[in-house]
Amino acid sequence: MAGIADLGVGIGWRSEIDLTVERLPGVDFVEVVAENLHIGHLPESVTLLLERGIPVLPHAVSLSLGGADPVDLNRVEHLGKVAEAVGAPMVSDHVCFVRAGGLDSGHLMPVPRTKDALDVLVANVKLAQENLPVPLALENVAALLEWPDGELSEGQFLAELVERTGCWLLVDVANLYANARNIGTDPERFLDEIPLERLAYVHVAGGEHHGDVYHDTHAHAVLPEVLGVLDELCSRVRPPGVLLERDDNYPSDTEIASELAAIRAVVDKHGPAQWLN
Amino acid sequence: MAELNDPSAARERLAAAQAELLNALLANGPAPAGFDEQRLNVERRALLSKRRGIVRMLGPAVADELGDRFRPLFDAYAVEHPRRAGSRAREDAAAFAEWCRAAGELSANRKARWKFWQSN
Repeated sequence: MAGIADLGVGIGWRSEIDLTVERLPGVDFVEVVAENLHIGHLPESVTLLLERGIPVLPHAVSLSLGGADPVDLNRVEHLGKVAEAVGAPMVSDHVCFVRAGGLDSGHLMPVPRTKDALDVLVANVKLAQENLPVPLALENVAALLEWPDGELSEGQFLAELVERTGCWLLVDVANLYANARNIGTDPERFLDEIPLERLAYVHVAGGEHHGDVYHDTHAHAVLPEVLGVLDELCSRVRPPGVLLERDDNYPSDTEIASELAAIRAVVDKHGPAQWLN
Repeated sequence: MAELNDPSAARERLAAAQAELLNALLANGPAPAGFDEQRLNVERRALLSKRRGIVRMLGPAVADELGDRFRPLFDAYAVEHPRRAGSRAREDAAAFAEWCRAAGELSANRKARWKFWQSN
């Protein structure tokens, strides 16, 4: 199997924390939000990281691959151009929809786990793959509500998606925790059901509880419970990479560094690679 | 490719279901069958809160001038004007400010509240 190279521990590059990302020790790779970059005008900070040999992976949020409409090839083309501009080995987006009926939700909405939705998702993913210069990884999202009449578990749904499209998986352990809390998904069952050999890398993020609902805010500290899900994942497979996402309410460099160190400690606890490419 | 089955029928069914859900969440449409009402409310509030936060970030002067009225006014605007597919967040912020001016909630000739050469 042609796998993805070992990425290590990384952080989502954001313009608000560009200097932090540049000076933090132990940043092995970064992600950039593809929609925020303009071809030909890469931020200086991203160029600096590239010059240092840090892999930069474009992460998209607007393809709406789980939407009913055929995927917008202009958006796919932009993602591909960003990948080429930063020499990325892989790009990613989510298993979700953001647009429907002429409206834009402004957020990553879960898709129904039905055969219909899977057929449409598969067709969209294949079209995107045909128009991308590098492999595509797809991420599980955090859901606040559950569609009725689901025919597959979330893990089964993603396993089918991988089988039919050959895509990679970007597993967000904070989203797994959120879904466990909010809609009763079982993270262990999820990890049992997905093809771990197709794991591209892992996302970790912070959030907070409001009453009995967990909000995946990316603006609060990473909860120990989320690191617990990462621990569970690492007990099954050594992830090629783990990346911290922080999008708002930025803490001090020290706090970010300690979150990265905590992530690395969980990964390293499980020893050397169980499989590598 | 081996897979030749045309997903157009599936697309139509999915389009209707997804449009119904977003209409309920963003435009006060009726709750789609089979969804938990409480969960729909949680999602509705989360989407509104995210959109409000982005508009506040993009138009801090408008939010400052409105003060405590910002939130209720934005929430009323948002449900009347759900974001259209293809629209940009900056257009949303501008449309909200325009909506407030039309309603007499914002001064028509907004004075600069600070100059860039002043600190705060």
